[in-house]
This record gives sequence, C-alpha cells and structure tokens, in this order.
Amino acid sequence: MLETLAAGQLAFAALALGALYGLIALGLNLVYGTMRLLNVAHGEVVMLGGYATYWAFTLAGVPPLAAVALTAAGGAARGAAAAQWHLRRLLASPRAAARIEANSLLAFFGLSIVVQNLAALAFSSTPRGYEYLPAVIRIGDAAVTGARLAAVALAIALCAAVLLFLRRHTFGLAMRALIDHRAAAAVVGVDVDRVQRGSFVLGFATAAVAGTLLSMTEQVSPFMGFPVTIAAFVVVILGGLGRPEGTIAAALVLGVVETYGVALTSPTYRSILVYGVFVLLLLARPQGLLGRRAIVR
Amino acid sequence: MSTHRDAALVLAALAAAAAVPALGSDYWTGLAITVLMWVALAQSWSVFSGLSGYVSFGHVVFYGLGAYLVVASWDRLPPALSVPLAALAAAAFALAIGAPVLRVRGPYFVILSFGVAELVKFVVIAVEAAAGNASRLILRTPEIDAIFYAMLALAAAATALAWGARVTRLGQGLRAIREDEVAAETLGVPAARYKLAALALSAAIPGAVGGTMAMRATYFEPLQAFDPMVSFTMIATAVIGGSDDVRGPVLGALLLVLLSELLWAGAPQLYMVVLGVLVVVFVLYLPDGLCGRLPAARAPRA
Amino acid sequence: MTTRRRFIQGAAASGLAAALPARLARAQAQRPLRIGFSIAKTGIFAAAAPSQLNAYDLWRSEVNARGGLALPGARRTVEFVQYDDQSNPSQAARIYEKLITDDKVDLLLAPWGTPTHIAVAPVLERFRFPMIGNTAASAKLRELKPGNIWFVTAAFPDRVAAELTKMLQANGVKSVALVTNVLPFGKEIKGFLEPALKAAGIEVRVNEEYPPDIKDMTALLTKVKQAAPDAVLALSYPSDSPLYVRQAKELGIAAPFQFVMVGPGIDFFPKLLGAAANGIVTVGHWTPARNARAKAFYDAYVARFKERPDYLDSIESYVSCEVLEQAVAKAGTDRARLREAIAQGEFETINGKIRFKGVENVVTPTGFLQLQDGVLQQVWPSALATAQFRPKTGW
Repeated sequence: MLETLAAGQLAFAALALGALYGLIALGLNLVYGTMRLLNVAHGEVVMLGGYATYWAFTLAGVPPLAAVALTAAGGAARGAAAAQWHLRRLLASPRAAARIEANSLLAFFGLSIVVQNLAALAFSSTPRGYEYLPAVIRIGDAAVTGARLAAVALAIALCAAVLLFLRRHTFGLAMRALIDHRAAAAVVGVDVDRVQRGSFVLGFATAAVAGTLLSMTEQVSPFMGFPVTIAAFVVVILGGLGRPEGTIAAALVLGVVETYGVALTSPTYRSILVYGVFVLLLLARPQGLLGRRAIVR
Repeated sequence: MSTHRDAALVLAALAAAAAVPALGSDYWTGLAITVLMWVALAQSWSVFSGLSGYVSFGHVVFYGLGAYLVVASWDRLPPALSVPLAALAAAAFALAIGAPVLRVRGPYFVILSFGVAELVKFVVIAVEAAAGNASRLILRTPEIDAIFYAMLALAAAATALAWGARVTRLGQGLRAIREDEVAAETLGVPAARYKLAALALSAAIPGAVGGTMAMRATYFEPLQAFDPMVSFTMIATAVIGGSDDVRGPVLGALLLVLLSELLWAGAPQLYMVVLGVLVVVFVLYLPDGLCGRLPAARAPRA
Repeated sequence: MTTRRRFIQGAAASGLAAALPARLARAQAQRPLRIGFSIAKTGIFAAAAPSQLNAYDLWRSEVNARGGLALPGARRTVEFVQYDDQSNPSQAARIYEKLITDDKVDLLLAPWGTPTHIAVAPVLERFRFPMIGNTAASAKLRELKPGNIWFVTAAFPDRVAAELTKMLQANGVKSVALVTNVLPFGKEIKGFLEPALKAAGIEVRVNEEYPPDIKDMTALLTKVKQAAPDAVLALSYPSDSPLYVRQAKELGIAAPFQFVMVGPGIDFFPKLLGAAANGIVTVGHWTPARNARAKAFYDAYVARFKERPDYLDSIESYVSCEVLEQAVAKAGTDRARLREAIAQGEFETINGKIRFKGVENVVTPTGFLQLQDGVLQQVWPSALATAQFRPKTGW
C-alpha cells in the first residue's frame, strides 16, 4: 500500500487530472470573474475543440499538437462573438444585464443543450477517437504515453502562462482589477469593455485547447461536455469564483483527492469522495478555498 | 380577481383531466401522466425556488430518493403506503440537509444543490452495489389508470400547495427574501425557518412522484432515477410557464409535452434544440414566462 | 408535421412503385407496412444508439430494395415510425403504448438497452403484441413473462460467466484480477463469475469495483500489477474500456489474458488505441466469417456507414430484424399467429440458426472475440473459432 502511495505513477496521475481540470476551470473562472457570467456551456467549447482536432487529424492529418493553434483561434473567435453578442445586450438594456447575471446559469444551460444536440445531429452521437504518440515514456518510476505526457505538459504550461499573464501583463492586470473591484477599475481608467472581451476570448480559447488535449487521450462525443463543465464548476466553486490562483489550487486538490483518495479507499468511492469533499468544503467555507468576498450576487 | 370563476375553472380542468382514462386509450392516458408529472414537479420546484430565488439544480434528488424507497420496499409495503412514505422521506431529507445548505447563496447554491444530488446518486449506487444489486425489477405493478389517478392527485396537491404558499405569509416572506434577504430579516422575516419550510414542502411531492414513476418504469437504476435532466426539465417547465404564477408550471408542462409530441417523431434532437432555445429566450426576454403574457386576473384557457 | 412527413414518405413510396417491375405492382398498391420503435437519440444511451439504428436502417433499405417485406401472398414496403425515448425507460413505455394504440403500427422493433426492454415488456404483455428484443442482457430478463418478448442475445450474464471461466481454464489461467464497473451488466456477470472461478480453482487476487464516471485507474491498476495475475478481467463499459487499456499499457500490466467486456467490438476502439488494443479479448459471438449472410451484412454496413458495425449491438439489432422478417413471411402480421411463428420457429440469420425457448435464444453459443492485428477474431467457443487465442505479449 505504502509503495503505491509513494509511487511516481500516482503522483503523475494526480498532476495530470489537476492540470486538465485547472486549464478548463481557469477559462470558466475568467469569464465569471470579469463578466459575472456562469457559462455552463463551457464544456461544449471543450467538446467543439475536441471535434475540431479529431477532424483535422483524421481528414487532413494535422498533428494535434499543431492543431492547438487552430483550435485556440477557433475558440478565441467564438469567445469574441459571444462577447460581442452579450455586450450589445448589456448596452441595450441595463435591466437585461441585471437579469442575465442572475439567470446566466439557466440561459447557458439552455445554450449547452442546443450545442450538444446540434453536434449530435452534425457528427452523430457515436464516440470517435484517434491514436497519437502511443509510445510509453518513463520519467523516474512513472510510465506514461507520449500523448498523455504532451497533453499534461501543455496544460501545465498554459495554466502557468495564464497566471503569469494575469500577474505581469498590463492587460492581465486590468483583468484582475476588473475582477477585484469592478467599479473602481472603471474609475481608474480600465477599458471595461475591452477587458471583458479579452477575458471571453482567453476563456474560450483555453477551453478549446483543453478540448484538443482531451481528444489526445480519450474519445470525443457530442455529450462529453457536460461532465467536463461539472468538473470545472466543482473546481471553480472550490477555489472561489473570480479567483484564478484558487482555481489552480482547487484543481490540484481535486486531482489528489481523486487519485490518492481512491488509492486509500476503493475506486467505488471515487465520485462520493469528489462530491463529498466539494459539498463539505463549500458548507465549511461558502466563499471557496481562496475566496474572500461575501457571497452575495 | 374573480375567485369564483377561478375555482370553477380549476374544478372544470380537474374534471376534464379525470376523464382522460375514460377515452380508453393508453396513449392518451400515458401522455396525461407525463403532463401531470411535470406539473407536479415544476409546481413543487417553484414553491421553493420560484418564490425564494434560491435556484435548486438538484431537485431530482427528491424524485430519485422517492423512487428508490418505493422500489426497495416493493413486495414488503403496498404502494398506498410506500408512496406517501416516499414523500415523507423526501421532506425529511430536505429538512436534514436544509440547515447547512441554505446558508449558501446565489450561483454557489445552484452548484451546491447539483452537487448534493450527485453525491446522493453515487451513494445510492455504492449502497446498491454493496448489496449486490445493480438494478431492480419490480413485478405486479398497478395498472396505468391507477398510476394516472395517483399522478393527478399529486399534480392537484402540488398546485394547491403552490397556490397556498403564495397567498400565505410564507410566500410573502419568501418573496421578500428573493428581493433582499438581509433587508427581509431586518423586517422580521424568519428567513432561515421560511427557507427550510419551503424546501421541505417542495421536496415532498417530488418524492411521491418519483415513487409513482418507478411503478410505471418497473425498473430502477440509480443513474436514471437521479438523472440531472429531470432537474433541468423541472426548471425549464417552471421558467417557460412562469415560475411566479401558479398557472405557470401547468402552461409550461402543457407546452413542453405538446412540443415534444410534435417534434419527437420527425426530429428528436431538434426537440432538445428547441427546448434549449426556449429556455434561453424565456430567461433573457420573457422572464415572467408564458404567464407574463397573460392578463393577471384572467385564468388561462388551457 | 407528422402528417406532412407521412405524405412525403408516401409520395416517395409511390414514386418507387412506378419504377418497379409490373409483377410487383399488385403488392405495391397496398399501403406500406409500418414498423414502430423507440430509439435513444438523446440522453445517457445516445452514444450507443446509432449502432442499433444503423442496423435497422440498413435492413429497411435492403427489404425495400427486394420489393418489400414478404407476407403470405404479398410484399409490402416497410416504413419506420420512430420516436426518441430520451434514454428514459418510462418514456419508452409510453412510446410503445402510442405506437400500438395511436399509430396502430403493424410490427414493432426493440428499443435500446436492458432497462428500456424491461419497461416496455408490460406494455407488450397488455396488448399481446410480439416483439423481438435485441440490445438487452440481464438474468432479470428471464423473470419477464414469456410469450410476447424474446431476446436474440447470447450474452446472458450467467452464460458469459460460465463460458469465460471455461475459456480461462482452457488457457491455463490460474489467477485473475477482477475489476468491475458497477453498472448492471458488469455487476451481474461478476455475481456469476465469483462462484464459477472458485469452483474452477482459479484464484481471484484482486476484486475491485469502480463507478461509471471514473477518470483515472492508476491506483486500481497498480494493485492489479502488484498482484501479477495470469488474467485481468475488466468488466467495463465503452466509456471506460479505453481508459483501462491506456493505463494498463502505461503501467505495463503483463497478464497474457486481458479481457475487456464492452467496447472493443465498437469501431472507435482500435482507432483510438492502435496496437495497444491488440490481443484484447471481449464479449462477442459474431464475426463476418460466420456465414455468407454475415459477410454480405458486414460489407453493406461498412459501405453505407463508413465504419464497422458494433459486433454486439448492430448484430443483435439486425438479427432481430431477420427473425421478424422470417416469422412475418410465414404468419403475416396477425399477432397470435406471429407470436406462434416466433416462439416455434427456427431462423436463419447473420449469426447462424436461432431458436427460442421461453424468452431466450438457446442456439447461439456465448463466445469471445479477440482483436488480432486490428481484426476481431472469434476465439471461443472452439467450434466457431476463426482464429486461435493468442496470449497478449505486450503493448
């Protein structure tokens, strides 16, 4: 038992889950933080990224690692379009704005059902997959396939890049300012409109890339987005809405709970552990792991 | 407001509904069961979520627990006993989890309610697995007409409850909480007690509905009994109909079932697409639902 | 909407009639034969349903290309009436009520999945309407009242467990690791497998269960690796079967016999896993080499849908259509006579001869397939084998 727990294989598994959860949840959280929008259709962006990669690979032979740029661009375009549509609505009516904040969850859930079923109509609901970098690589005492190693490495790099961007880059700092103090940010001259657009673009692009990374290691299907969204939500809520560092911490916690928790007990308890930890933590700290704000809408 | 005319309309609607099995077509009876099920579920949901503004995305947990209780006690308890017990159990569960869960607000509450439902689903899966059952089959279930009348009674009870909750102090208090919980408390609304009471009330009937539908399916499998789509459809029904009006869930259920009847043959996935579009449109543009389009004093021509 | 659709279909059918030879004109003058079923186009079974629907569609076009379904003394073109059950068994029950009482269909085909079949069975019973079930496998099916529902599958859990144990013995397996998805099919097989393995003197070194939404098996498979069994039996489903293969490969699980329950028979599996899928054994009692009909079916399926049929679901679905076709040829659509024809008859299918006793197909033997160089080969039972079992030598 101790051997299992100390093994690099398990540590890698925890890190792999954490990194992917982190990347997906980070985008979700950025959109919430700057726009107060709970995008339940986030998983569908991931799903579309996965399909784009699958088709690019099987039809045109585009290697998934190169497709990352493609899907990122696609996701960014979708994010820009969504931001355009949403911001126009906001400008059109402040009352609509108040409502969309409260009901964004429901509206986006409707949207996600639309996208899922359109995808099922277009691609059929049969799962699809392709083989990529199948060779097993050893790192220390852990052994992983090339595809999984590449996916995890890229996810970690992207998470780090986004966090750095938020801490160092002017635009990232503007995003942070908007997340922390909405009203004050506008007063000190942050172009709220532009920053909100930027967060949509970044949030959607990371989600689409996460879709590419997922498609490298598992099958894609039109309905794969929903569980992805749920996992991302659990992570975002655990880490605190609007708190990017919290998201990364929560993603790692979830990865560890899922792998080490299962190793210590039994795989049967996997989902009970994940949701149990989630429910208990939320009850104990309703503002999330690193959350600060009171939880009024 | 002409209460007499409203009462007459309600009675007429009940009588018309009660006559459906007399048509002698299992198809129409089955269709009516589906409509009534969504009426009962959406009315119950609106008692808590519609009034208080705490959007529950996990109401399927009560439905699933009710189904589980009836199926697990099959052959030991008659349905006449186990279905009311299912309602009680669901309400008791709501009371048990209510106190801690209801401290959490806004989007956190939405996701928390979903998380609780999923947690219970996986606990039931684990319990069933440990007991060596992966699924259960129940035999000698009641005839479809009996299930119909049970569902009619549940839909009527849920509607009465939804109406009652709105005209009493509980409803006023919940609405005040929805507008501004802190202000409501300073005005003397016992927010915690009201929320808890509303949650328990809104849990009971879904428990009984779950138990009744289990007898119709004759087969129990936790993944289906606790399917999150049930929660979503409940919300969609209430929102599309109008969750702040007692007529709303009835209209919503009629519209959605009608829509699915029209679309499911030719284009089943299109039904889901249309359902999604409707939810988006109603949430964004018609937040008062179909009822928002009706004059306030006039009852719907349903 | 429905009326318009029917009108269009009717128009298409009459256009077809005009183009057909005169000797069929008499048959074509009759209205098309309407066959109803519910299908899980949306919801949790949606990913599995195309393999069934494709088989139905293929069968319908073949029948109509032959001039229609043969009845005693006539041929009638086939038209489908299908509804989405949203993967919800009670919805499916309602659909079959509608098909029988409202649409007044002439014949029925089966919905997808064990729970759905079980929910529909009482409806069939009430209207005494015969239906051939396909994509269901559970010992609970035998509790259903026989007479209006039959199952073409050979994958009854007790039979799978018994045959698997025999195959393990025949290949000298002394110890196994058993990992089970807690969904019904896996749990039921596990229930029969445990005593069977014990009776056969095969040691169970690891015996673990896992939930359907598992995302990582590292901890579980580390245990399996440490136990170093002769065989790993993964009672898995299509969503987690690839996960097992990928992580077993990473950990280098070296058991020469690796059984992955449901998934390897589906088209995406070898595409996703490539060489790693080689040597995996799975449930299945069909290959295109089974007979001439099977080969024709396989070729037509691949030509039309650009992918392999699912070796379990597509086959069972198509077989149920064949059984129905042959019973109708003898008995017509009269329900009492049709019931008798199905219960008493013997049928030629892409999966060989089929005969029912009670609700169960008692002819088709339960068997296992192995992926060998990307091709699914029948390796058990030996009477049907298209290839020898090859120990898995690596990833």
